[in-house]
Amino acid sequence: MNEKISSILKSVEKPGRYSGGEYGAIIKEKDAVKARFAFCFPDTYEIGMSNLGMRILYGALNREPDIWCERMFAPWVDMQQKMREYDVPLWAHESGDPVKDFDILGITLQYEMCYTTVLQVLKLSHIPLTAAARGEDDPIVIGGGPCAYNPEPVADFFDCFSIGEGEDNLVEFTKLYISMKEDGSYTRAAFLRRAAATVKGIYVPSLYDVSYHDDGTIAAITPKYEDVPKQVEKCIIADMDKAFFPDKVVMPYIEAVHDRIMLEVYRGCIRGCRFCQAGMIYRPVREKSHEVLNAQARCLYDNTGYEEISLTSLSISDYTELEPLTRSLLEWTDKNMVSLSLPSLRVDSFSRELMDRIASVRTSSLTFAPEAGTQRLRDVINKNVREEDLMRAVNVAFAGGKTNVKLYFMNGLPTETSEDIEGIATLAQSVVHEYYRNKERPKGRSPQVTISVSCFIPKPFTPFQWEAQDTMEMLREKQEYLYDKITDRKVRYTHHDARVSHIEAVLARGNRKLCRALALAAERGFCFDAWDEFFDYDKWLSVFADTGIDPAFFANRQMGLDEVLPWDVIDIGVSKEFLKRERARAYEAATTPSCREACAGCGANRLGGERTPCPKRGN
Amino acid sequence: MKQNDVKFTLPLLDAPRTLRVRFRKVGNLQYISHLDLQRTFSRVLVRAGLPLWYTKGFNPHIKMVFGMPLPVGSESECEFLDIRIEREMSEAEVMARLNAELTDELSVTAVYPAMRKFSEIAYAEYLYTVVTAGADEALADRVREALTTGPLTVVKKTKSGEKEVNILEALHRTDVRLENGAIVIEAVLAAGEGKYLSPEALITALREKTGILSGDPTVEHYRILRRRALLADGVSTFS
Ligand code: SF4
Repeated sequence: MNEKISSILKSVEKPGRYSGGEYGAIIKEKDAVKARFAFCFPDTYEIGMSNLGMRILYGALNREPDIWCERMFAPWVDMQQKMREYDVPLWAHESGDPVKDFDILGITLQYEMCYTTVLQVLKLSHIPLTAAARGEDDPIVIGGGPCAYNPEPVADFFDCFSIGEGEDNLVEFTKLYISMKEDGSYTRAAFLRRAAATVKGIYVPSLYDVSYHDDGTIAAITPKYEDVPKQVEKCIIADMDKAFFPDKVVMPYIEAVHDRIMLEVYRGCIRGCRFCQAGMIYRPVREKSHEVLNAQARCLYDNTGYEEISLTSLSISDYTELEPLTRSLLEWTDKNMVSLSLPSLRVDSFSRELMDRIASVRTSSLTFAPEAGTQRLRDVINKNVREEDLMRAVNVAFAGGKTNVKLYFMNGLPTETSEDIEGIATLAQSVVHEYYRNKERPKGRSPQVTISVSCFIPKPFTPFQWEAQDTMEMLREKQEYLYDKITDRKVRYTHHDARVSHIEAVLARGNRKLCRALALAAERGFCFDAWDEFFDYDKWLSVFADTGIDPAFFANRQMGLDEVLPWDVIDIGVSKEFLKRERARAYEAATTPSCREACAGCGANRLGGERTPCPKRGN
Repeated sequence: MKQNDVKFTLPLLDAPRTLRVRFRKVGNLQYISHLDLQRTFSRVLVRAGLPLWYTKGFNPHIKMVFGMPLPVGSESECEFLDIRIEREMSEAEVMARLNAELTDELSVTAVYPAMRKFSEIAYAEYLYTVVTAGADEALADRVREALTTGPLTVVKKTKSGEKEVNILEALHRTDVRLENGAIVIEAVLAAGEGKYLSPEALITALREKTGILSGDPTVEHYRILRRRALLADGVSTFS
């Protein structure tokens, strides 16, 4: 920690966010390394330290003796103000050195609403905002994470992006940097070109021309040079048992949002919910074996002392070895007073046994996600959940002493009618009835059913990527309609702010033209838009107006099936043909079986993968 | 991989034993709050593989009792934590295991059977190092005078509003000198239950009265280090 920052710490909120000095933090001799890498999570320390991806990449990069990777977070507004007042450039967490002097700055893009924070981070670091304005001595700025699958809205601000799972390719990328520095062939341009041509999963936006039709849609995305790939294929780790596993963990002193062991059980998802981006971009499903997971969990427990292990994956009960895994975990977790928790439960596999075994259930509340109120609409979105399954699951919960059930839904899904919205209220009411019908329910207590309704956002690389988002007026009407349908006080209703969802849709499906709006937003001081207290819808509208951007063009327009989409330059393994097929099936309300039941031929198997339900490549 | 299951093989004690852990909390760690420190220790104790005693009942947990509070922004060489173990493990081993799980800035300096009660702590001895503009003998004199003649007040927020308190009453002993261009204050402040004075209050009061530390915080700064906990005589060290 440098002197200048240290004394400022006495006058900011939660100074522990900045002080560092954590057990497990990696400190290297700065003169003994060849590349200094700052890995930025563009939100507060507490949120960033909860991110498993950051921990993995931090460990993978630091395993290399030539590379020192440090963490970096967005300082809270009070600290930002002090930094401007005393002219302190943003620093890396471990050394306290200014990030502008680093070789590479990696920024993970976990949600669209962090974009404005990313730009503030660059400004606070005194790094030129756009790649074009950066000089030879500025760090190479590389983006990654789920939002990098459509990098176009932030393309101007990044020198390049790492597409897919970065455990291996970020190391390769940094090693290329080191070797070009060493043999003297390094210039920014030469390095980026070589990286685009030779390192898998590296997308360099400045090496592509984008041309437009008169109506504003894209005519073509063309590489400027022969050796630059037309489409950038994402990277995956084929064998999850051999994936880098961070056994040494940085232990935050101040409480992180997820302050527990997070055990990644598998990547991907066998379900194909048609609105879900994660379910597509992380294909193919690749499991870790239960033996490896048990050993990793034990190792993490010994190295952290956490009292809770959370099995994280998109739909944990789909894990084929859940039974042997929980059995082997319980052999040592019980006597060490460690509890297990499962973040995601599917109603169709929820059982009494599972509930008893899993302590997340210490709380009296359980969460399920039917997503839609009627069977028809659930079939449209391919959420293979039936009402009977939900009722069976809540009965298990009630008999097990639970009184609170939380249900997640979405408004504005394609083909939604008033009947579907009413169905949400009806379903919640049925859960209340089910409680009173259950003879084993907790005596003398009343149930609480919370329905939490978000707004559908069409996301790139989903079967619904072409769909129009409902306008704000429609979403609000729907929210009110649902409100009127709820009559029982045992049903609590909360919904997302439609205005945030609208901006998120614009950013999710945007193209490069959005960069100028974001640059203006940065100039106007936008930051922390993922935080309710800083999000200001009217300011966003004026930024769009002042830069000649029509937000409806990106959010509320039905995109053409043959249109060139901004993210067509990225190849996630899943074919566009498959997405079109799935879209057509959605409109027929036809479901598609999970990957475990039958392969739907999405194309992701060509990426390879071990312990996966996918057919072998070439078959 | 470290196997901390070893603890299950140690001989059980007849009754749980309370050990006192003395530790330092300096440097970056001064910015970690008491609550965060508690959470940190609960994990450190576990990963050190100590044979901890757990409370019985529905929600078993380990027992940790800390000594006097230390405000965020103050460093200390003498923090105390009492823990309970239920199996035989030497004090030296407890200390070694703890230090293997800690950094220098938060490290254990002694482990021994707890003899005295925390309520016997009456005073604490602090060392203040103040780097401030125009630090000279004249300023040192002014500080010395402020600390002796008084009144030296801080505004305290209470339930019924704000009230001024004269902190001189809680000052047991002070010594002011100029050292390498910094004003150095040694002070013994009341730290007993109900009488505890936060060491930060001294800086607040002096800033108000003498104008020290009112410039650019990236140039002017101060350090507070708690060196000893003292018994009621104000001289003998609490341990
Ligand atoms: S290739 Fe088949 S099994 Fe594999 S992810 Fe795609 S649809 Fe599922």
